[in-house]
Amino acid sequence: MSVMISVARNALRHLLRSRIALTGVVLVALLTLAAAVTSRAYQADQAGLRDRLQHAADQDFAAQPNRHPHRVVHFGHFAIRPASGLAAMDPGVEAFTGNMIFLEGHRQNSANFGDARQSSLLVRFGQLSPALVLQVIAPLLLVFIGAGMVAGERERGTLRQSLLAGVSGGTLLGGKALALGFAGLIISAPAFGLLLWVGVNGGARASAVALSALGYVAYLAFWTLLIVAVSAMVQRSRTALIALVGAWAFSVVLVPRLAPEVAAGLAPLPTRVETDIAVQRDLRAMGDSHNPNDPYFAAFKQKTLKQYGVSRVEDLPVNYRGLLAIEGEKLTSSLFDRYADQAFGAMAAQGRVMDALAVVSPTIAIRRLSMTLAETDLSAYRRFLEQAEAYRYDLVQRLNRLQATAVTAEDDAAKSKSAAAESRSRISADHWRSMPHFAPDRPSAGEVTGRALPSLIVLLLWLAAGALLAARAGRRLNRSAA
Amino acid sequence: MNALFREARFLLGLKSAVAAILCLFLLSAVAVGAGLVEVARQQATIARIAPQQAADVAAIADWASREKDPGNAAYYTFHATWDPPSDLAFAAIGTRDVSPYVLRVRALGLEAQLYEGEIGNPEAALPGRFDFAFVLVYLAPLFVILLFHDLRSGEREAGRLGALEASAGSPRGLWRARIAVRAAGLFLALAVPFLIGAAVAGTALWKTGSVLLIVLAYLAFWITLSVVVARAKRGSLANAMTLAAAWMTLTLIVPAIGHVVINSAIPLRQGMELGQRQRTAVHRAWDIPKSQTMDAFFRTHPEWKDTAPLTEAFHWKWYFAFHQVGDESAADLARAYRAGVLKRAAWSERLGLVTPGVAAQLALHRLAGADPSAQIAYQDRIRAFHGALRGFYYPYLFRDRPFGRDDFARAPVYQAAPDPGGWPGGLLLGLVGMTALVAAVGAWWSRREGL
Repeated sequence: MSVMISVARNALRHLLRSRIALTGVVLVALLTLAAAVTSRAYQADQAGLRDRLQHAADQDFAAQPNRHPHRVVHFGHFAIRPASGLAAMDPGVEAFTGNMIFLEGHRQNSANFGDARQSSLLVRFGQLSPALVLQVIAPLLLVFIGAGMVAGERERGTLRQSLLAGVSGGTLLGGKALALGFAGLIISAPAFGLLLWVGVNGGARASAVALSALGYVAYLAFWTLLIVAVSAMVQRSRTALIALVGAWAFSVVLVPRLAPEVAAGLAPLPTRVETDIAVQRDLRAMGDSHNPNDPYFAAFKQKTLKQYGVSRVEDLPVNYRGLLAIEGEKLTSSLFDRYADQAFGAMAAQGRVMDALAVVSPTIAIRRLSMTLAETDLSAYRRFLEQAEAYRYDLVQRLNRLQATAVTAEDDAAKSKSAAAESRSRISADHWRSMPHFAPDRPSAGEVTGRALPSLIVLLLWLAAGALLAARAGRRLNRSAA
Repeated sequence: MNALFREARFLLGLKSAVAAILCLFLLSAVAVGAGLVEVARQQATIARIAPQQAADVAAIADWASREKDPGNAAYYTFHATWDPPSDLAFAAIGTRDVSPYVLRVRALGLEAQLYEGEIGNPEAALPGRFDFAFVLVYLAPLFVILLFHDLRSGEREAGRLGALEASAGSPRGLWRARIAVRAAGLFLALAVPFLIGAAVAGTALWKTGSVLLIVLAYLAFWITLSVVVARAKRGSLANAMTLAAAWMTLTLIVPAIGHVVINSAIPLRQGMELGQRQRTAVHRAWDIPKSQTMDAFFRTHPEWKDTAPLTEAFHWKWYFAFHQVGDESAADLARAYRAGVLKRAAWSERLGLVTPGVAAQLALHRLAGADPSAQIAYQDRIRAFHGALRGFYYPYLFRDRPFGRDDFARAPVYQAAPDPGGWPGGLLLGLVGMTALVAAVGAWWSRREGL
């Protein structure tokens, strides 16, 4: 063990003497720091803005005057996606999703004003975040400073000396890996500092922080082992560098880009326009509310009359228009849910295809792990959309029930002809003030951990593969010395 | 000429170089293929929507033509707009996967409809597309580095340098020929798949030529940089490291930092505020005297001033008037939002003047009409079409003209035109300028070092 440490110490001394390597480490560490600081500031700003907008929307809703409940159904409400604490570490898909949904009766609107649509094309180069630095840039820097670690010694002839002096190949590679891993820790230290900071300051759960840190350590450790192993297995530093940059370009740049192309072909998504049209078509097939003789709504009328034990709509103790609104919303909402489930089902299928490519690229696994723990992945977005839809449905149905019970059928029927009836059809503004606020809840820690686990296991398998490769390279060194 | 043939034969004999060029050829072929498939998918989607849209309108006409109330027609009928991919979109998909290229609008308030998102998988959009632009901007420089970093140092390390320069007669000519042959190999690996793609997509000649120019200029930058670095009498390893570090800085780090700086210097909060302001303005109409809404409406639309005055009873013209007034009350935010998006794009172009990767990326997307300004242009076309829709329905609404089945067919139809694309002159100039700068610095430096 002490031999390994002295090998590591020597390797580090060598790194410190090399101007290029030292500059690289310092620059990338600074880049990580800059990424952590700007990303944190941006997320704090976003969180403040979204809080403010949600508050403004709540106030606007409560400040409505006396109105007919159906006017309030159309006035609608806004649901704004709250920012997640770990988004500063990994913004994930945040920029590619909308953040604000207009909630109203009869319609399901999209979440709008995502960052990618309103940013320049630069957003497609990747957003500067600690996650980008650790997933993409840190491995490449490690390749630069590590490719020559063993091969360089071979070229200089010092490798043979060490081996002949009795240092085993495994110990030698272990020491080199320790030194390279130490450099990796230095460049990623600001990111781990950020993780700790958001963990302590309550923005993130301790379990997510710990697993995320573990994942990144495993990811960087894999690269460290791979680099040392390749450097030991080839004859020349340059060959090692080219092979490792190639491996990096393949698994960090190429595969993640190819994955969506493969997935999109296997599980195509419908467009919003088609879904809108399909919802309207299905709705007409179920029951046409514009047709007075429609069988579905005729049956609904009979059922309602029977339920209240009366024979004419006029004799109902409640406002029949309100009941119709409740029934109509029930129909449209069931269709919204069905089509949303289909679309999300297709997206989940795409996600499975893309995740499967983690077999050839550990970057896919760390990205999945990091986004899942930061709650900035597709499933966190889906959760927001579904909670917004549930809130919309509940709000609209509360208002429809008010129309059925608090507005008389006569006033409701006469309101568009007579100003007096219109005025009577308005109900007290107190009703809006007592409506619940949109308060989306986060997934439980167990749920997040459960979803993160598979990618963590894949990462650990990659790490084990890296260790096996390094061990083989060590044995080869022993043989070459003997 | 002889030197060129000799080099070409030599290159063909080098297995690693041939493998690299073939690999780049394969990658650009796959990217072009993927781009063509994606464009075909978008075209098929647009084609698929037309009959569905017609059936939707027919179903509305069925019931709405019974009462002949123009309000029902205007309120319930959606009108389709679409933004077909340009003849170069296959090479640069750009923003087309994060913003809708089909959108339906109706004659109600536009500001509540214009910014609708598309059903997309954000996790698929996150890493970006695998298109020709990606292969050129990110991957091609790596191949340049691979083939050029050891131009001299490789021969020196193999101990052949002296013999090689002596055998060639003119050493300068030898290196020129070697550079030219390798550059030609890389250029062909990119250009041939692209040209086949352009032929399939029917790309306009000037755009095809412009793309080849961009490819040439971008390769020239990286080759110049590589040659300048390789001229220093250092080892192949140091050359490769320096070049790969330059690649990482220019294609990953600088654009990412530029994105952060631009987005924080030009914050775009108007979007979300705009949505809330327009909604509140529209609905206020139900709580204020109708005459107040109509007065505001007549101020911008005096042509309807002399129409029949409103009574107590509900009238659609008032309904559409307050939607229009709602749009107008949010107009300043909408303008600011639009200007903000364009300003961000303009600043990214300025960054492109000094960052070749950004320049190549933006230039390709400008040509392909797949950048934010193309997206804004589509929104402008929707805005104009929406204006035409209002102009179509208002005479029925304000003059109380019945709206029969035939009138549905008279509604304006969206005239789609793919984005014509623009000549990215400034960006190309930036590319050439940066190449010249690197060459000049290299020449100055080698003279100083006496190389």
